[in-house]
Amino acid sequence: MTQAIDTTIYAAVSEAIQGEAQRILSAGEVTAIVGYATARRKGSAQPIVITNADDAQKLIFTPACVNNLAVYLTKAKKEIPKQGKIGIVVKGCDLKALAGLMGESQLKREQLYLIGVPCAGVLASTIQPDTQLTADTIAPKCTECDAHLPQGCDFVPAQTPVTPELEKKYAAEIARLEALTPKERWAYWKEQFSKCIKCYACRQVCPFCFCEQCLCDRNKPQMVDTTPRPAGNTAWHIVRAMHLAGRCAGCAECERVCPMDIPLNLLNRKMAKELKELYDYEAGFQVNENGPLNSYTEKDDQSFIK
Amino acid sequence: MHSEKQKHDFEPKIIAFVCTWCTYAGADLAGTSRMQYPANVRVLKFPCTGRIDPVFILKAFQQGADGVLVSGCHPGDCHYIAGNFHARRRFAAFRKLLEFVGVDLERLQFSWVSAAEGGKWVEVVSDLTEKVRNMGPMTEFKELALEEQWSGAINTAELKEAYNEI
Repeated sequence: MTQAIDTTIYAAVSEAIQGEAQRILSAGEVTAIVGYATARRKGSAQPIVITNADDAQKLIFTPACVNNLAVYLTKAKKEIPKQGKIGIVVKGCDLKALAGLMGESQLKREQLYLIGVPCAGVLASTIQPDTQLTADTIAPKCTECDAHLPQGCDFVPAQTPVTPELEKKYAAEIARLEALTPKERWAYWKEQFSKCIKCYACRQVCPFCFCEQCLCDRNKPQMVDTTPRPAGNTAWHIVRAMHLAGRCAGCAECERVCPMDIPLNLLNRKMAKELKELYDYEAGFQVNENGPLNSYTEKDDQSFIK
Repeated sequence: MHSEKQKHDFEPKIIAFVCTWCTYAGADLAGTSRMQYPANVRVLKFPCTGRIDPVFILKAFQQGADGVLVSGCHPGDCHYIAGNFHARRRFAAFRKLLEFVGVDLERLQFSWVSAAEGGKWVEVVSDLTEKVRNMGPMTEFKELALEEQWSGAINTAELKEAYNEI
Protein backbone atom coordinates (compact mmCIF):
# COMPACT_ATOMS: atom_id res chain seq x y z
CA MET A 1 0.00 0.00 0.00
CA THR A 2 1.61 3.21 -1.08
CA GLN A 3 1.27 6.33 0.95
CA ALA A 4 -1.31 8.75 -0.52
CA ILE A 5 -0.50 12.44 -0.41
CA ASP A 6 -3.22 14.85 0.62
CA THR A 7 -4.02 17.29 -2.18
CA THR A 8 -7.45 18.39 -0.96
CA ILE A 9 -6.17 21.92 -0.38
CA TYR A 10 -5.49 22.34 -4.11
CA ALA A 11 -9.16 23.16 -4.79
CA ALA A 12 -9.12 25.99 -2.24
CA VAL A 13 -5.73 27.10 -3.55
CA SER A 14 -7.13 27.28 -7.10
CA GLU A 15 -10.03 29.36 -5.89
CA ALA A 16 -7.72 31.74 -4.02
CA ILE A 17 -5.53 32.11 -7.13
CA GLN A 18 -8.59 32.88 -9.26
CA GLY A 19 -9.80 35.50 -6.77
CA GLU A 20 -6.43 37.19 -6.59
CA ALA A 21 -5.96 37.07 -10.37
CA GLN A 22 -9.39 38.62 -10.86
CA ARG A 23 -8.55 41.38 -8.37
CA ILE A 24 -5.12 42.36 -9.70
CA LEU A 25 -6.16 42.20 -13.35
CA SER A 26 -9.26 44.33 -12.89
CA ALA A 27 -7.37 46.76 -10.65
CA GLY A 28 -4.78 47.05 -13.39
CA GLU A 29 -1.92 46.04 -11.08
CA VAL A 30 -0.59 43.64 -13.68
CA THR A 31 -0.88 43.46 -17.46
CA ALA A 32 -0.82 39.68 -17.68
CA ILE A 33 -0.71 36.59 -15.51
CA VAL A 34 1.18 33.41 -16.34
CA GLY A 35 -0.50 30.45 -14.72
CA TYR A 36 -1.90 26.98 -15.26
CA ALA A 37 -5.16 26.07 -16.96
CA THR A 38 -7.00 22.86 -17.68
CA ALA A 39 -5.74 21.11 -20.80
CA ARG A 40 -7.65 18.82 -23.14
CA ARG A 41 -6.46 15.52 -21.73
CA LYS A 42 -8.37 14.42 -18.63
CA GLY A 43 -6.78 15.81 -15.48
CA SER A 44 -3.94 17.49 -17.30
CA ALA A 45 -2.87 21.10 -17.07
CA GLN A 46 -1.03 23.47 -19.35
CA PRO A 47 0.53 26.89 -19.02
CA ILE A 48 -1.66 29.84 -19.93
CA VAL A 49 -1.19 33.59 -20.17
CA ILE A 50 -4.26 35.64 -19.33
CA THR A 51 -4.64 39.37 -19.82
CA ASN A 52 -8.34 39.71 -19.13
CA ALA A 53 -9.95 39.61 -15.68
CA ASP A 54 -12.77 37.45 -17.09
CA ASP A 55 -10.27 34.71 -17.83
CA ALA A 56 -9.16 34.50 -14.19
CA GLN A 57 -11.60 31.60 -13.73
CA LYS A 58 -9.44 29.51 -16.05
CA LEU A 59 -6.55 29.42 -13.59
CA ILE A 60 -6.16 26.21 -11.62
CA PHE A 61 -3.68 24.38 -9.49
CA THR A 62 -3.61 20.57 -9.50
CA PRO A 63 -0.96 17.86 -9.11
CA ALA A 64 -0.63 17.99 -12.92
CA CYS A 65 0.73 21.57 -12.82
CA VAL A 66 4.28 20.40 -13.33
CA ASN A 67 5.76 23.18 -15.46
CA ASN A 68 8.14 25.79 -14.17
CA LEU A 69 6.58 28.96 -15.55
CA ALA A 70 9.71 31.03 -14.86
CA VAL A 71 10.96 29.98 -18.30
CA TYR A 72 8.28 32.17 -19.90
CA LEU A 73 10.03 35.26 -18.58
CA THR A 74 13.49 34.60 -20.04
CA LYS A 75 15.10 33.83 -23.39
CA ALA A 76 12.92 34.51 -26.40
CA LYS A 77 10.33 36.06 -24.12
CA LYS A 78 12.67 38.79 -22.93
CA GLU A 79 10.38 41.57 -24.12
CA ILE A 80 7.45 40.30 -22.04
CA PRO A 81 8.54 41.75 -18.68
CA LYS A 82 8.94 45.10 -20.46
CA GLN A 83 5.23 45.18 -21.25
CA GLY A 84 4.46 46.02 -17.64
CA LYS A 85 4.11 44.17 -14.40
CA ILE A 86 3.54 40.44 -14.90
CA GLY A 87 1.78 38.17 -12.46
CA ILE A 88 3.12 34.63 -12.25
CA VAL A 89 1.92 31.55 -10.40
CA VAL A 90 4.89 29.90 -8.72
CA LYS A 91 5.51 26.78 -6.71
CA GLY A 92 8.37 26.91 -4.24
CA CYS A 93 10.85 25.33 -6.67
CA ASP A 94 9.85 27.79 -9.41
CA LEU A 95 10.29 30.69 -7.01
CA LYS A 96 13.86 29.55 -6.36
CA ALA A 97 14.47 29.71 -10.11
CA LEU A 98 13.01 33.21 -10.24
CA ALA A 99 15.21 34.26 -7.30
CA GLY A 100 18.20 32.90 -9.21
CA LEU A 101 17.21 34.86 -12.33
CA MET A 102 16.84 38.03 -10.28
CA GLY A 103 20.29 37.43 -8.81
CA GLU A 104 21.65 37.19 -12.34
CA SER A 105 19.95 40.45 -13.35
CA GLN A 106 17.61 38.77 -15.82
CA LEU A 107 14.49 39.98 -14.04
CA LYS A 108 13.59 42.66 -11.56
CA ARG A 109 11.44 41.96 -8.53
CA GLU A 110 9.36 45.07 -9.14
CA GLN A 111 8.42 43.76 -12.61
CA LEU A 112 6.72 40.75 -11.07
CA TYR A 113 3.63 40.04 -9.02
CA LEU A 114 4.31 36.68 -7.42
CA ILE A 115 1.39 34.41 -6.63
CA GLY A 116 2.89 31.67 -4.48
CA VAL A 117 1.33 28.22 -4.30
CA PRO A 118 1.31 26.13 -1.12
CA CYS A 119 2.30 22.87 -2.81
CA ALA A 120 2.35 19.36 -1.45
CA GLY A 121 3.90 18.01 -4.63
CA VAL A 122 3.18 17.36 -8.30
CA LEU A 123 3.05 14.23 -10.42
CA ALA A 124 6.11 12.64 -11.99
CA SER A 125 6.47 13.11 -15.74
CA THR A 126 5.84 9.44 -16.50
CA ILE A 127 2.49 9.34 -14.71
CA GLN A 128 -0.95 9.90 -16.28
CA PRO A 129 -2.18 13.39 -15.31
CA ASP A 130 -5.40 12.24 -13.62
CA THR A 131 -3.63 9.88 -11.20
CA GLN A 132 -3.92 10.28 -7.45
CA LEU A 133 -0.76 11.74 -5.92
CA THR A 134 1.02 9.10 -3.83
CA ALA A 135 4.56 8.40 -2.65
CA ASP A 136 5.00 6.44 -5.90
CA THR A 137 3.51 8.85 -8.40
CA ILE A 138 5.00 12.05 -6.97
CA ALA A 139 7.81 13.72 -8.94
CA PRO A 140 11.24 12.74 -7.55
CA LYS A 141 12.10 16.39 -6.91
CA CYS A 142 9.11 16.70 -4.57
CA THR A 143 10.47 13.96 -2.31
CA GLU A 144 13.34 16.24 -1.35
CA CYS A 145 11.40 19.52 -1.42
CA ASP A 146 12.10 22.06 1.31
CA ALA A 147 10.03 24.77 -0.35
CA HIS A 148 6.42 23.65 0.03
CA LEU A 149 5.44 27.13 1.18
CA PRO A 150 6.93 29.91 -0.98
CA GLN A 151 8.16 32.94 0.90
CA GLY A 152 8.48 36.57 -0.13
CA CYS A 153 5.56 36.42 -2.59
CA ASP A 154 2.99 39.15 -3.05
CA PHE A 155 0.15 36.73 -2.43
CA VAL A 156 0.03 33.21 -1.02
CA PRO A 157 -3.25 31.36 -0.38
CA ALA A 158 -3.73 30.69 3.34
CA GLN A 159 -3.79 26.88 3.05
CA THR A 160 -0.95 24.84 4.51
CA PRO A 161 0.09 21.73 2.58
CA VAL A 162 0.38 18.41 4.39
CA THR A 163 3.83 17.14 3.53
CA PRO A 164 4.72 13.69 4.81
CA GLU A 165 8.36 12.69 5.03
CA LEU A 166 9.18 10.70 1.85
CA GLU A 167 12.15 8.65 0.77
CA LYS A 168 14.61 11.09 -0.84
CA LYS A 169 14.93 9.63 -4.32
CA TYR A 170 17.84 11.67 -5.69
CA ALA A 171 19.87 11.42 -2.48
CA ALA A 172 19.43 7.65 -2.54
CA GLU A 173 20.43 7.38 -6.20
CA ILE A 174 23.47 9.65 -5.74
CA ALA A 175 24.59 7.57 -2.76
CA ARG A 176 24.21 4.42 -4.85
CA LEU A 177 26.32 5.83 -7.68
CA GLU A 178 28.96 7.23 -5.35
CA ALA A 179 29.45 3.79 -3.86
CA LEU A 180 30.34 2.37 -7.30
CA THR A 181 33.87 2.35 -8.75
CA PRO A 182 34.75 5.05 -11.32
CA LYS A 183 34.59 2.42 -14.07
CA GLU A 184 31.08 1.35 -13.10
CA ARG A 185 29.97 4.97 -12.89
CA TRP A 186 31.43 5.64 -16.34
CA ALA A 187 29.57 2.62 -17.68
CA TYR A 188 26.33 3.89 -16.13
CA TRP A 189 26.64 7.40 -17.57
CA LYS A 190 27.87 6.13 -20.91
CA GLU A 191 24.69 4.12 -21.19
CA GLN A 192 22.55 7.07 -20.11
CA PHE A 193 24.24 9.64 -22.36
CA SER A 194 24.20 7.32 -25.36
CA LYS A 195 20.40 7.59 -25.28
CA CYS A 196 20.57 11.34 -25.88
CA ILE A 197 19.17 12.50 -29.21
CA LYS A 198 20.43 16.08 -28.80
CA CYS A 199 16.97 17.58 -28.99
CA TYR A 200 18.17 20.21 -26.48
CA ALA A 201 14.79 20.14 -24.74
CA CYS A 202 16.68 20.27 -21.45
CA ARG A 203 18.29 23.50 -22.56
CA GLN A 204 15.11 25.06 -23.93
CA VAL A 205 13.12 24.40 -20.78
CA CYS A 206 15.81 25.47 -18.33
CA PRO A 207 15.23 28.96 -16.91
CA PHE A 208 18.98 29.34 -16.44
CA CYS A 209 20.01 28.44 -20.00
CA PHE A 210 19.38 31.96 -21.27
CA CYS A 211 22.61 32.56 -23.24
CA GLU A 212 21.91 34.25 -26.56
CA GLN A 213 24.35 31.86 -28.16
CA CYS A 214 25.08 28.58 -26.42
CA LEU A 215 28.71 27.53 -26.24
CA CYS A 216 27.60 24.16 -27.56
CA ASP A 217 26.16 25.71 -30.73
CA ARG A 218 29.31 27.55 -31.67
CA ASN A 219 31.47 26.05 -34.35
CA LYS A 220 34.42 28.42 -34.43
CA PRO A 221 35.96 26.98 -32.35
CA GLN A 222 33.75 23.98 -31.86
CA MET A 223 33.97 22.95 -28.22
CA VAL A 224 31.31 20.26 -28.22
CA ASP A 225 30.36 17.94 -31.08
CA THR A 226 26.84 18.76 -32.16
CA THR A 227 26.00 15.37 -33.64
CA PRO A 228 23.99 13.04 -31.42
CA ARG A 229 26.82 10.59 -30.96
CA PRO A 230 28.34 9.40 -27.68
CA ALA A 231 31.35 11.74 -27.58
CA GLY A 232 29.35 14.91 -28.16
CA ASN A 233 26.51 13.75 -25.94
CA THR A 234 28.83 13.13 -23.01
CA ALA A 235 30.54 16.47 -23.49
CA TRP A 236 27.19 18.27 -23.77
CA HIS A 237 25.84 16.80 -20.56
CA ILE A 238 29.04 17.49 -18.64
CA VAL A 239 29.14 21.08 -19.91
CA ARG A 240 25.46 21.52 -19.13
CA ALA A 241 25.88 20.29 -15.57
CA MET A 242 28.94 22.48 -15.13
CA HIS A 243 27.23 25.62 -16.42
CA LEU A 244 24.31 25.03 -14.06
CA ALA A 245 26.47 24.25 -11.05
CA GLY A 246 25.73 26.74 -8.30
CA ARG A 247 22.80 28.18 -10.27
CA CYS A 248 20.33 25.33 -10.70
CA ALA A 249 17.28 25.82 -8.50
CA GLY A 250 16.24 22.18 -8.69
CA CYS A 251 12.98 22.50 -10.61
CA ALA A 252 13.94 19.30 -12.47
CA GLU A 253 12.33 20.51 -15.70
CA CYS A 254 15.31 19.16 -17.68
CA GLU A 255 14.56 15.69 -16.46
CA ARG A 256 10.83 16.05 -16.96
CA VAL A 257 11.07 17.08 -20.60
CA CYS A 258 13.81 14.61 -21.57
CA PRO A 259 12.21 12.33 -24.16
CA MET A 260 14.88 9.69 -23.55
CA ASP A 261 14.49 9.71 -19.74
CA ILE A 262 18.08 10.58 -18.97
CA PRO A 263 18.36 11.32 -15.23
CA LEU A 264 19.65 14.85 -15.82
CA ASN A 265 18.65 16.25 -12.48
CA LEU A 266 20.89 13.68 -10.84
CA LEU A 267 23.92 15.59 -12.13
CA ASN A 268 22.43 18.88 -10.96
CA ARG A 269 21.62 17.49 -7.50
CA LYS A 270 25.11 16.06 -7.21
CA MET A 271 26.67 19.44 -8.02
CA ALA A 272 24.31 21.18 -5.59
CA LYS A 273 25.32 18.72 -2.90
CA GLU A 274 29.04 19.26 -3.54
CA LEU A 275 28.72 23.04 -3.56
CA LYS A 276 26.80 22.87 -0.30
CA GLU A 277 29.64 20.87 1.22
CA LEU A 278 32.42 22.99 -0.27
CA TYR A 279 31.04 26.50 -0.03
CA ASP A 280 27.90 26.14 2.09
CA TYR A 281 25.72 27.45 -0.75
CA GLU A 282 22.18 26.38 -1.47
CA ALA A 283 19.62 27.77 -3.90
CA GLY A 284 16.86 29.40 -1.90
CA PHE A 285 14.21 32.11 -1.89
CA GLN A 286 16.66 34.94 -1.20
CA VAL A 287 18.20 36.79 -4.13
CA ASN A 288 21.98 36.34 -4.21
CA GLU A 289 23.99 38.35 -6.67
CA ASN A 290 26.99 36.10 -6.19
CA GLY A 291 26.65 32.36 -6.58
CA PRO A 292 29.32 29.98 -5.32
CA LEU A 293 31.19 29.88 -8.63
CA ASN A 294 31.38 33.59 -9.28
CA SER A 295 32.64 34.54 -5.86
CA TYR A 296 35.55 33.31 -3.78
CA THR A 297 37.26 33.57 -0.44
CA GLU A 298 40.98 33.46 0.12
CA LYS A 299 40.61 30.46 2.40
CA ASP A 300 38.87 28.16 -0.11
CA ASP A 301 39.89 24.53 -0.01
CA GLN A 302 42.86 23.76 -2.24
CA SER A 303 43.87 20.36 -0.94
CA PHE A 304 43.59 19.02 -4.51
CA ILE A 305 46.12 21.51 -5.89
CA LYS A 306 49.80 20.74 -5.76
CA MET B 1 75.30 15.88 -18.63
CA HIS B 2 72.15 14.34 -20.08
CA SER B 3 70.50 11.72 -17.97
CA GLU B 4 70.45 8.36 -19.65
CA LYS B 5 67.55 7.86 -22.03
CA GLN B 6 65.08 5.22 -21.00
CA LYS B 7 62.88 3.27 -23.36
CA HIS B 8 59.25 3.00 -22.29
CA ASP B 9 56.46 0.91 -23.76
CA PHE B 10 54.01 3.74 -23.35
CA GLU B 11 54.64 7.45 -23.70
CA PRO B 12 51.63 9.31 -22.30
CA LYS B 13 50.44 12.55 -23.82
CA ILE B 14 50.13 15.21 -21.17
CA ILE B 15 48.42 18.50 -21.97
CA ALA B 16 49.37 21.37 -19.69
CA PHE B 17 47.14 24.45 -19.56
CA VAL B 18 49.29 27.12 -17.97
CA CYS B 19 48.98 30.78 -17.17
CA THR B 20 51.38 33.05 -18.99
CA TRP B 21 52.48 35.07 -15.96
CA CYS B 22 53.59 32.36 -13.56
CA THR B 23 53.71 28.79 -14.75
CA TYR B 24 54.71 29.57 -18.32
CA ALA B 25 57.54 31.70 -16.97
CA GLY B 26 58.35 28.96 -14.47
CA ALA B 27 58.56 26.39 -17.26
CA ASP B 28 60.71 28.82 -19.20
CA LEU B 29 62.99 29.12 -16.18
CA ALA B 30 63.26 25.34 -16.00
CA GLY B 31 64.32 25.38 -19.65
CA THR B 32 66.84 28.19 -19.38
CA SER B 33 68.25 26.55 -16.27
CA ARG B 34 68.78 23.37 -18.35
CA MET B 35 66.68 21.24 -16.04
CA GLN B 36 65.59 17.91 -17.48
CA TYR B 37 61.95 16.91 -17.54
CA PRO B 38 59.84 14.51 -19.58
CA ALA B 39 59.07 15.64 -23.12
CA ASN B 40 55.56 14.17 -22.81
CA VAL B 41 54.07 17.47 -21.78
CA ARG B 42 52.51 19.81 -24.36
CA VAL B 43 52.22 23.30 -22.96
CA LEU B 44 49.33 25.57 -23.89
CA LYS B 45 49.61 29.16 -22.75
CA PHE B 46 46.63 31.11 -21.45
CA PRO B 47 46.41 34.63 -20.07
CA CYS B 48 45.26 33.35 -16.68
CA THR B 49 43.96 30.18 -15.02
CA GLY B 50 40.66 32.05 -14.88
CA ARG B 51 40.55 31.79 -18.69
CA ILE B 52 40.84 28.00 -18.62
CA ASP B 53 37.34 26.70 -19.23
CA PRO B 54 36.55 23.18 -17.96
CA VAL B 55 35.47 22.39 -21.52
CA PHE B 56 39.14 22.69 -22.59
CA ILE B 57 39.97 19.79 -20.30
CA LEU B 58 37.15 17.72 -21.79
CA LYS B 59 38.33 18.58 -25.28
CA ALA B 60 41.89 17.57 -24.39
CA PHE B 61 40.73 14.18 -23.18
CA GLN B 62 38.57 13.72 -26.27
CA GLN B 63 41.46 14.56 -28.56
CA GLY B 64 43.62 11.89 -27.00
CA ALA B 65 45.31 13.34 -23.93
CA ASP B 66 46.20 10.75 -21.29
CA GLY B 67 46.68 13.33 -18.59
CA VAL B 68 45.90 17.01 -18.11
CA LEU B 69 47.77 19.51 -16.00
CA VAL B 70 46.33 22.90 -15.10
CA SER B 71 48.78 25.28 -13.53
CA GLY B 72 48.89 28.96 -12.63
CA CYS B 73 49.95 31.55 -10.12
CA HIS B 74 49.86 30.96 -6.38
CA PRO B 75 46.78 32.41 -4.65
CA GLY B 76 47.32 36.10 -4.13
CA ASP B 77 49.84 36.37 -6.98
CA CYS B 78 47.38 36.55 -9.87
CA HIS B 79 48.26 39.20 -12.44
CA TYR B 80 44.55 39.90 -12.73
CA ILE B 81 44.15 39.91 -8.94
CA ALA B 82 41.51 37.20 -8.55
CA GLY B 83 41.56 34.95 -11.66
CA ASN B 84 43.09 32.02 -9.86
CA PHE B 85 40.68 32.31 -6.91
CA HIS B 86 37.77 31.92 -9.31
CA ALA B 87 39.56 29.10 -11.11
CA ARG B 88 40.17 27.31 -7.83
CA ARG B 89 36.45 27.15 -7.09
CA ARG B 90 35.52 26.24 -10.63
CA PHE B 91 37.99 23.38 -10.79
CA ALA B 92 37.05 22.12 -7.33
CA ALA B 93 33.50 21.79 -8.65
CA PHE B 94 34.57 20.38 -12.02
CA ARG B 95 36.65 17.67 -10.35
CA LYS B 96 33.62 16.55 -8.39
CA LEU B 97 31.55 16.42 -11.56
CA LEU B 98 34.15 14.40 -13.47
CA GLU B 99 34.49 12.05 -10.52
CA PHE B 100 30.73 11.51 -10.50
CA VAL B 101 30.69 10.78 -14.22
CA GLY B 102 33.44 8.22 -13.66
CA VAL B 103 36.67 9.85 -14.84
CA ASP B 104 39.76 8.84 -12.88
CA LEU B 105 40.92 12.03 -11.18
CA GLU B 106 44.50 10.76 -11.00
CA ARG B 107 44.83 11.88 -14.61
CA LEU B 108 43.94 15.45 -13.83
CA GLN B 109 46.43 17.52 -11.87
CA PHE B 110 46.19 21.09 -10.65
CA SER B 111 49.17 23.02 -9.36
CA TRP B 112 50.43 26.45 -8.48
CA VAL B 113 53.86 27.08 -10.03
CA SER B 114 55.31 30.57 -9.80
CA ALA B 115 57.76 32.17 -12.23
CA ALA B 116 60.58 31.38 -9.80
CA GLU B 117 59.73 27.69 -9.35
CA GLY B 118 61.42 25.99 -12.29
CA GLY B 119 62.22 23.09 -9.98
CA LYS B 120 58.61 22.67 -8.94
CA TRP B 121 57.50 22.63 -12.59
CA VAL B 122 59.95 19.83 -13.29
CA GLU B 123 58.72 17.95 -10.26
CA VAL B 124 55.01 18.36 -11.11
CA VAL B 125 55.48 17.34 -14.74
CA SER B 126 57.69 14.36 -13.89
CA ASP B 127 55.32 13.11 -11.21
CA LEU B 128 52.24 13.38 -13.41
CA THR B 129 54.00 11.76 -16.38
CA GLU B 130 55.13 8.80 -14.26
CA LYS B 131 51.72 8.46 -12.64
CA VAL B 132 49.90 8.47 -15.99
CA ARG B 133 52.50 6.18 -17.56
CA ASN B 134 51.78 3.61 -14.86
CA MET B 135 48.03 3.98 -15.41
CA GLY B 136 48.29 3.35 -19.13
CA PRO B 137 46.40 5.14 -21.91
CA MET B 138 43.16 7.02 -21.23
CA THR B 139 40.65 5.08 -23.28
CA GLU B 140 37.26 6.25 -22.05
CA PHE B 141 36.83 9.40 -24.15
CA LYS B 142 38.62 7.97 -27.19
CA GLU B 143 36.28 5.00 -27.23
CA LEU B 144 33.31 7.35 -27.14
CA ALA B 145 34.58 9.16 -30.21
CA LEU B 146 34.90 5.89 -32.10
CA GLU B 147 31.51 4.58 -31.10
CA GLU B 148 28.41 5.01 -33.20
CA GLN B 149 25.15 5.91 -31.54
CA TRP B 150 23.50 2.59 -32.18
CA SER B 151 25.21 -0.70 -31.47
CA GLY B 152 25.73 -1.42 -35.18
CA ALA B 153 24.85 -5.05 -34.68
CA ILE B 154 22.82 -5.95 -37.75
CA ASN B 155 22.77 -9.71 -37.36
CA THR B 156 20.95 -10.13 -34.09
CA ALA B 157 18.39 -12.91 -33.80
CA GLU B 158 15.49 -10.44 -33.58
CA LEU B 159 16.54 -8.57 -36.71
CA LYS B 160 17.03 -11.80 -38.67
CA GLU B 161 13.61 -13.01 -37.65
CA ALA B 162 12.04 -9.70 -38.63
CA TYR B 163 13.89 -9.80 -41.96
CA ASN B 164 12.71 -13.31 -42.74
CA GLU B 165 9.14 -12.31 -42.12
CA ILE B 166 9.22 -9.60 -44.76
